[in-house]
Amino acid sequence: MPSPIQVFVARRFVTMNRSMPYATHVAVRDGRVLGMGGPEIRDAFGPAGFDDRFAGDIVVPGFVEGHGHAADGLMWRNTYAGYFPRTAPDGTRHAGFKSIAEVVAHLRRAEAAMTDLDRPLVAWGFDPIYFGGPRMTRADLDAISTRRLVVVAHVSGHILNVNGAVLERAGFSADSNLDGLVRDEGGQLTGELRGPAVMGRANRVTGDAGLSRLLDVAALRDFSRLTRRVGVTTSTDLANPLPDESVAALRAATAAEDFPLRLVPALRAREYSVPDGIARVAALRRHNTDKLHFGIAKLVVDGSIQGFSARLRWPGYHNGAPNGLWYVAPAELFGIVEAYHRAGIQLHIHTNGDEASELATEAVARANDAFPRAGHRHTLQHCQMADEAIFQRMRAAGMCVNLFANHIYYWGEQHRALTMGPSRADRLDACATALAVGVKLAIHSDTPVTPVDPLFTMWCAVNRITAEGRVLGEHERITAVEALRAVTLGAAYTVNLDHAVGSIDTGKFADFAVLDRDPLEVPSMEIRDIQVRAIVSGGTVFANA
Amino acid sequence: MTPIPLTPVGGFLGAGKTTLVNHLLATADRRFGVLVNDFGAIAIDAALIAAHDGGVVSLTNGCVCCETGGDLGAGLAQLATRDPPIDHAIVEASGVGDPWRIAQLALVEPGFSLDPIVVVADALNLERQLAGRWVADTVRGQLLAAEIVVLNKIDLAPDPAGARAALASLCPMAPVVETRNAAVAIGRLSFPVSPRPRFRANPASAHAFPVWHYLPARPFDRARLRAVLAALPRSILRVKGFCRLDGDPAASLLQFAAGQWALSPYGEAPPGLVVIGTPEMPAPPDLVARFDFALLEQ
Ligand SMILES: [Zn+2]
Repeated sequence: MPSPIQVFVARRFVTMNRSMPYATHVAVRDGRVLGMGGPEIRDAFGPAGFDDRFAGDIVVPGFVEGHGHAADGLMWRNTYAGYFPRTAPDGTRHAGFKSIAEVVAHLRRAEAAMTDLDRPLVAWGFDPIYFGGPRMTRADLDAISTRRLVVVAHVSGHILNVNGAVLERAGFSADSNLDGLVRDEGGQLTGELRGPAVMGRANRVTGDAGLSRLLDVAALRDFSRLTRRVGVTTSTDLANPLPDESVAALRAATAAEDFPLRLVPALRAREYSVPDGIARVAALRRHNTDKLHFGIAKLVVDGSIQGFSARLRWPGYHNGAPNGLWYVAPAELFGIVEAYHRAGIQLHIHTNGDEASELATEAVARANDAFPRAGHRHTLQHCQMADEAIFQRMRAAGMCVNLFANHIYYWGEQHRALTMGPSRADRLDACATALAVGVKLAIHSDTPVTPVDPLFTMWCAVNRITAEGRVLGEHERITAVEALRAVTLGAAYTVNLDHAVGSIDTGKFADFAVLDRDPLEVPSMEIRDIQVRAIVSGGTVFANA
Repeated sequence: MTPIPLTPVGGFLGAGKTTLVNHLLATADRRFGVLVNDFGAIAIDAALIAAHDGGVVSLTNGCVCCETGGDLGAGLAQLATRDPPIDHAIVEASGVGDPWRIAQLALVEPGFSLDPIVVVADALNLERQLAGRWVADTVRGQLLAAEIVVLNKIDLAPDPAGARAALASLCPMAPVVETRNAAVAIGRLSFPVSPRPRFRANPASAHAFPVWHYLPARPFDRARLRAVLAALPRSILRVKGFCRLDGDPAASLLQFAAGQWALSPYGEAPPGLVVIGTPEMPAPPDLVARFDFALLEQ
């Protein structure tokens, strides 16, 4: 006996499917779309159940987060201390902390709720750049506790604030003079630590409560609570070292019937020698299921623009900072790219600065010239400063791009003032140029760096508004339908899943995001305010409370 | 516990860093602990390390997305606690890594004493790299941090004059050891270890680092010591040893390199500082005057 058929009805399905862009009825069997159209669909495939709970809603393909980190599910074991609003996996909404006093008060409450004095209080996401003058000091954190270790990590990833207990445990005294120990006018340590050497030591004495912990099933489930709330039904985990324990956790989490997320983990290629990494991807592919998709690998070429570690072309950093760092030697990159390319493995290459994007494009072009392979879809991730010439070369080499549209809002002002300066900052995450040139486009959040929320990411690409309300690069704005494609089918294309997810079409997984309003029809400034009522994952409804 | 000497080995991809480390291991007279932060084409010979009861810690790229080498300090801490304990740590930077960053970790991480920063340069390719489209600033930055340069593959370079000239202009204070197959003895890459009671300028060897001993007669005044250390010329490469600071009951361990220093409480230890420099470093009377100035007034 064939499985039962369920017909969903909505005010409108926006399918992203060129043959039938809109529908009111979608029939689903075995977790896949059987067909879509008008009321005639209701009985077209035989007797069917009827689900009209979304009859007043707009349904779009489930969103695809093309660059996220499942480690977001781990972050919330520590205390959020960020400036911007953010929702925890359990649904707790943090309004964001608008002053040092607010952060300290929040941390004091968190400390009061802790019992074991040996446990450090670790806060993350601290973002003082909008506070104006004052910096957080050791005295602020000593007021929370002089005995418990207290660490506050900045969202940039390049600064920590710690209390006196951490300074003492780490052996940092005012008598020392080490790079990265910030002092006040009286020469005393302020508890602000900058750079990997002193930060690494402080992290170690507090037990490395950061991003380096391995994912477990609970963290993956917490990650799926974050993604389903914002309409995401497929997400990358970009990247993961993928040791056996992590693979076991990924398999266990995604095997659960009620796990509402398809995961695409990328192998962090530099955890392995090249032959071992290629063999690891091949071995992991055997574990692929409908909900777990191994097969891609990640490389990191440079650092971050706001951390001044991205590799920039002339004229370099606007504030005169020296050029950033290569995380892999150019000649070595050519060899790694060629080896993975020849092995048929798709690469996701992190490049922030334009010099890094240029180099990575050159590496892919050389590999593809020597060993032509149609449809390799190697993708530059972030690629925030590429200009038209780089996009042209990317297109010629058959590459895709996943641009960091959220950066426009969260760091646009800093890029304009410090890193790229006016005019060059206008081409930050140049979505319109990429599309005009014909490069396949996705846009992303890089969660937990910025919160996962594809409607917000769309809003950024469509409006290009900074946190201070300035339009940054009006000519790089794209339309709502282009942005919707970039967070659905476009992102699916960049992870080789466009045959399975990203649009509503016969044979594809019945993965939907149910919205209260149509992102293609609301005023563009309201796209980020659209509510996600539910997701449907493989035909199963997961409603938002 | 005596601090473990730590040798950072930097140099661009292909210069011969791993060959040098393997050579040091093959000719080892002590237990080496090795920290590697890369997946080069040549592997560290683990068998060589095991044969000497030493240890190797492999690191991979650090944390989630945007940071590399985040766990280098953790790797060092692991080396420091090995059983049996190691006599000497070697940290091989990645081919694009900044060896000074490793040196900084040796100042931050307790239990290590920073030996010269060794940078391996490729006699055959150095000039081309210094003019390279993507790598010039990286190679230059590595050499600027060098305290000893190993100019390797000297046998393969038809005319090494250009490489020599580049080194002379980029790191004029660093002695250059020319070699093939990176065959350099650890003794040539280390600071003198045996205590030498008097200032020693040794014109016979271009690779010697003069050493001077200082015995503080009284505890140091904190502010004055800070001023003295901050004003030391670049020809002073290291100041290390024990001293007392005003008001502290215990001795402090001082480690100074390139204008940075760590002073950490140590417990009981007889005071005495070792000052190591290049042949250009100030003469003993000048050094005595500088450090005496930092003493507490009587
Ligand atoms: Zn990322």
